[in-house]
Amino acid sequence: MALAGEDFCIVAADTRQSDGYHINCRYAPKAHQLSDKTVIGTSGFYADGLNFVKKIKQRMEWYFHQHDKTMSTTAIAQLISIMLYQKRFFPYYVFCVIGGIDENGKGCVYSYDSVGNAERVQYQAAGSGNELLQPFLDSQIGLKNRSNENETLNLTEEMAIKIVKDAFSSVTERDIHTGDCVEIYIIRKDGVECQKYPLKRD
Amino acid sequence: MITFFLVLLQSGNEYNGGAVVAMVGKDCVAIASDKRFGLELLTLATDFEKIFKMNDKCYIGLAGLATDVQTLSEELKLKCDLYKLREEREITPKKFAHLVSSTLYDHRWGPYFCEPCIAGLDENNKPFICSTDLIGCINFAKDFVVCGTTARELYGICESFWEPDLGPEELFEVISQSLLNAFDRDSKSGWGAVVHIITPEKIITRHLKTRQD
Repeated sequence: MALAGEDFCIVAADTRQSDGYHINCRYAPKAHQLSDKTVIGTSGFYADGLNFVKKIKQRMEWYFHQHDKTMSTTAIAQLISIMLYQKRFFPYYVFCVIGGIDENGKGCVYSYDSVGNAERVQYQAAGSGNELLQPFLDSQIGLKNRSNENETLNLTEEMAIKIVKDAFSSVTERDIHTGDCVEIYIIRKDGVECQKYPLKRD
Repeated sequence: MITFFLVLLQSGNEYNGGAVVAMVGKDCVAIASDKRFGLELLTLATDFEKIFKMNDKCYIGLAGLATDVQTLSEELKLKCDLYKLREEREITPKKFAHLVSSTLYDHRWGPYFCEPCIAGLDENNKPFICSTDLIGCINFAKDFVVCGTTARELYGICESFWEPDLGPEELFEVISQSLLNAFDRDSKSGWGAVVHIITPEKIITRHLKTRQD
């Protein structure tokens, strides 16, 4: 999942890798840092996810050598959409979200389906637990179904991290494919920080 | 016609759509449902309540195929009334749960496509909730039960919102917010909601206005 604040962004993913009822690995990172302003989270088919991230990193390196600058978050967002659509008829089985800081220094999140449909959003859940997570984010960050329609949320970093932890511990409770450990990447103007928290292992 | 029956056999529970949730509070229980009635993605009515009163302290919510919801609710009401006449007392929610379970299991090989949620207060006014699957396997939960096409969304949000010992008004807020935010992410449920709070003294029924898409 990923969510954007005013001047920061959070990308979080659990680290369980499972196949049906079987757990293959308890620490298989699904979130990857692409630059010091962008982090990607992948779900779906793990091997496709790894390969896809590898390809993105390669394309970013070419860009770096050609233009002598690292790709911006919005540029990466567009690149991902194109790369996914290039495999329209044999898609990467990955559902990704990226989070980062855009050119104006604002937090941004882009969410994709497996064939490259992209949307810029404020928050997004993806993967096996997305149905469980998304309504919670709607309520807590989207402020849906509140009596005061004009209420605005001044999302601080501490609040956001707290919401992320709550969300993951709730989903872990009911989704067998989610658990073990959650990695929370906090993307700020001055760099990326990664925090790890244990989740239930059952 | 054939398509209809195939759809029915494969996913009778998802044909009409719907969401039901029940929660335990401190000396009270709450049960809530959406009001949509549709045929797959086509909405036909927005006043179809899925919660039925069995007596003052026992309600049942039925999510699933609408025709079975109506048949089953009437069959269960009949059985509750007959119990009252024979025993000269009201049926307790726990006994009612077993009545529902055996009624559903009677149709083991041609089931009603219904998932019931039962909520009530027992003879000592202790809260009781449970749910069953479509053939009557009971799930006695201590916190909350959910069913219908919105079950996964409800599980996620109830797991975050619910906490022990909520009073009637707090419980109303929690169950309403859980249901509203959950069914807004499900195209087959929504279009208004109804919440019943059962306390030893009274039953509070509230109808919620929601977004109409």
